[in-house]
Amino acid sequence: MAVLSTLEVLIDRPEALAAYEKPAGLGRAGFAGYFAGTLGLFMFLRLQAMVPPGALSLLAMFFFVLAANFLFAGVIHLFMELTGADPAPRGGAARLFQAFGCTDFLLAALVPLGFLHRANVFNGLLGFCACILVLLWARVRLVRRLYPVSGNKALLAVWLPYAALTALFFVGLVYGLAWFVWLLV
Amino acid sequence: MEEQNIGGAAPQAEEPRKTAVQTPAPGGTRVWLKLIAGLYLVSLVAAFALIAKADAVKKTRAKEMDISKLSALTKAKKDAVGVVEIYGAISQGSSSRSWERGSQQIARKIAEVAAEKEVKAVVLDINTPGGSVGAVQEIYSVIRRAKLETKKPFIARFGEVSASGGYYVASACDLIVAQPGTITGSIGVIFSVANFEGLMKKVGFKSEAIKSGKFKDIGSPTREMTPEERRLLQGMIDDSYAQFVAAVAEGRKMPEDKVKLLADGRIYTGRQGLENGLVDKLGDLQDALDAAGEMGGIGKKPRIVRETAPFEQFLSLMDSRLQPFGTKAMADALGATPSLEYRWDGR
Repeated sequence: MAVLSTLEVLIDRPEALAAYEKPAGLGRAGFAGYFAGTLGLFMFLRLQAMVPPGALSLLAMFFFVLAANFLFAGVIHLFMELTGADPAPRGGAARLFQAFGCTDFLLAALVPLGFLHRANVFNGLLGFCACILVLLWARVRLVRRLYPVSGNKALLAVWLPYAALTALFFVGLVYGLAWFVWLLV
Repeated sequence: MEEQNIGGAAPQAEEPRKTAVQTPAPGGTRVWLKLIAGLYLVSLVAAFALIAKADAVKKTRAKEMDISKLSALTKAKKDAVGVVEIYGAISQGSSSRSWERGSQQIARKIAEVAAEKEVKAVVLDINTPGGSVGAVQEIYSVIRRAKLETKKPFIARFGEVSASGGYYVASACDLIVAQPGTITGSIGVIFSVANFEGLMKKVGFKSEAIKSGKFKDIGSPTREMTPEERRLLQGMIDDSYAQFVAAVAEGRKMPEDKVKLLADGRIYTGRQGLENGLVDKLGDLQDALDAAGEMGGIGKKPRIVRETAPFEQFLSLMDSRLQPFGTKAMADALGATPSLEYRWDGR
């Protein structure tokens, strides 16, 4: 219930996030959000039989999500500081990380979407993409709450780590493919 | 900037705001949140149920009551059957190229797999027409030593072809499983040498050997073999043949006379081999693994430990890619010297 109270505060008074004192239970709510979001994503992927079953599989995904978001929050905060956007009163990477966790509650919607996909009444990929877009939108809003920046800069900051990782992935993929072709041909 | 905020009058000024932040605003948000949380829980339970049902359908198969499965439950989960592949012609590999699948590498793999504590039985997945006598005997002796030292059962599984040297290796095993159509047998020795004398005369090429003894260039492709040399080679072949027959007789627990009747170099199908006592059982790799599991005391469908060496496989691939236009294979073929072989050349 404490988590619900924190979420209620964040929804009704989003300015509380940027207050000198962080909202009570933000850390707890953030971790609960990460877990609920990971569980939603895990169940969505399990419904499509795309991930191995078991608690270990879920935990591995959970720790990956935590690590990735920790990195993302750090990178975004660094980007903001480097570009001169000082965080509002007591913001920072830690608060950003916890707040990102609250946005991960949105991924819980993937569970019913997975159902609808299995029932062939809804395109699962479309739902997944929609969920990710809503998540990004919520994160952009969060960043704007914590840092005095424009919407475009907040969007750039949120998208930056994803874009960097995507670029790295594709560079690795292309290099790997070229290497593989060289080995085989 | 932050220091100024913390150290100045800000905390007092922030106090009323902090109090306000901690108090949830009255309204319908909480009700909505509770409703969403409830729906989430319901959908989670339903998803769990659906996934569990789907997994159960996957696992549901006609099951037979198998006592060996019950006994397997009492064993450590890690118990497994080791599998070593012996594919292609058997020859002595280069010791400096650890990724080559020569007899040394195969022998080392067998010894390593057999020495692993979790491995309770070893399956040799054999698909070879044999190879040079020394290389085949190297693998044979390592199997015998491993059996003696570890007391673990060895099972030979024949694939498409397991003839001559392939059968020699398998004769050291406790059980031989073959497909009904596997080509096996070809128990015997061969020494083949080409004679290019006529061709060399035609092209005007002459080769001369200055030798310390009359047999020093025995097997030379540049001249006709003498009757004396033929007798000498026949003696060697007879001796290697006797070793083969003795190995089969010992391994198969068969009188040597009976082995000799079967060992005129002919090939057999797996089914004929079964009728003649050269094979114990007809079946596929899974049958061999099941038999190994039972002989190792871990029941049917055992966990499998394969001798995989990804790094060596990668080096092997790299090595093959770095040989332009297969020059190494060509050089090997040209540099090949005639040798005694437990090998079937029918393919």
